[in-house]
Amino acid sequence: MNGMALIAALVGFGVVTGAASGLLGVGGGTLMVPFLTLAAGLSQHAAEATSLLVVLPTAIVASLVLRRRGVGDLGLALRFGALGAVGGVLGALLALALPGHVLRLVFACFLLLVSVRLVRDSLFER
Amino acid sequence: MSTGYETGTLGSIAGLARTRAADGGSTYLGLRPRFIAIGLAGGLLSGLLGVGGGIVMVPLLVLWTAYRQRDAHAISLGAIIPISCASVITFGAAGQVRPFDALALAAGSIAGARVGAGALSRIEERPLKLVFGLFLAAVAVLMLVRS
Repeated sequence: MNGMALIAALVGFGVVTGAASGLLGVGGGTLMVPFLTLAAGLSQHAAEATSLLVVLPTAIVASLVLRRRGVGDLGLALRFGALGAVGGVLGALLALALPGHVLRLVFACFLLLVSVRLVRDSLFER
Repeated sequence: MSTGYETGTLGSIAGLARTRAADGGSTYLGLRPRFIAIGLAGGLLSGLLGVGGGIVMVPLLVLWTAYRQRDAHAISLGAIIPISCASVITFGAAGQVRPFDALALAAGSIAGARVGAGALSRIEERPLKLVFGLFLAAVAVLMLVRS
């Protein structure tokens, strides 16, 4: 891709990721990292570091919009997230000692169970 | 004198941070024990698995607290702010960041975030559960394929 086309693709993909992340309550790294490696040709490390830098302003803007609309509780979320940051450092250290693929397998099964429950609730309950 | 269960250094620290909530339950630094557990577990799992905090925190909040799907998403987004700050400081310093790509993506995603957050504040509970459930299923399948 030439320069202008790449910039247009990045901005366009940013709009999609930002909208998905505001609706789904996630940072958007799950979507951005594959895009940056496959379409923009970044290495895995560069894609992860770059996506982190995009997640921060996205989460701030979405949180401000939601606070204005009275959804959630930003004060609680920030304190809660500070603990999450501590947990994240511990997790990254533990990841060096534990078998990553086994953990991912277990967690993927957990996500599948949650998704089945959410889809079932949305379709069949009351 | 000790009150019985607040013994040792850890107990003293917890005792200092503890306050009473309006309904009589204990909170630590203003957080319920269950939120502390979810916050730590969310960070721990996302660090361990290399996935974003939101994918871990939203399911935990929905399953283990009384928050509705919409509020769980909003709290997860707010919690991502300090978590990604810490990650940017630890990993961003490694010099792998591509500033121009980040700038172009962020320009788009800031505009998109306003749209997405606006939609979150209006969407009904059931379609939101459906959309998030399908998103989780897709992430789970991707994780299974890669591992």
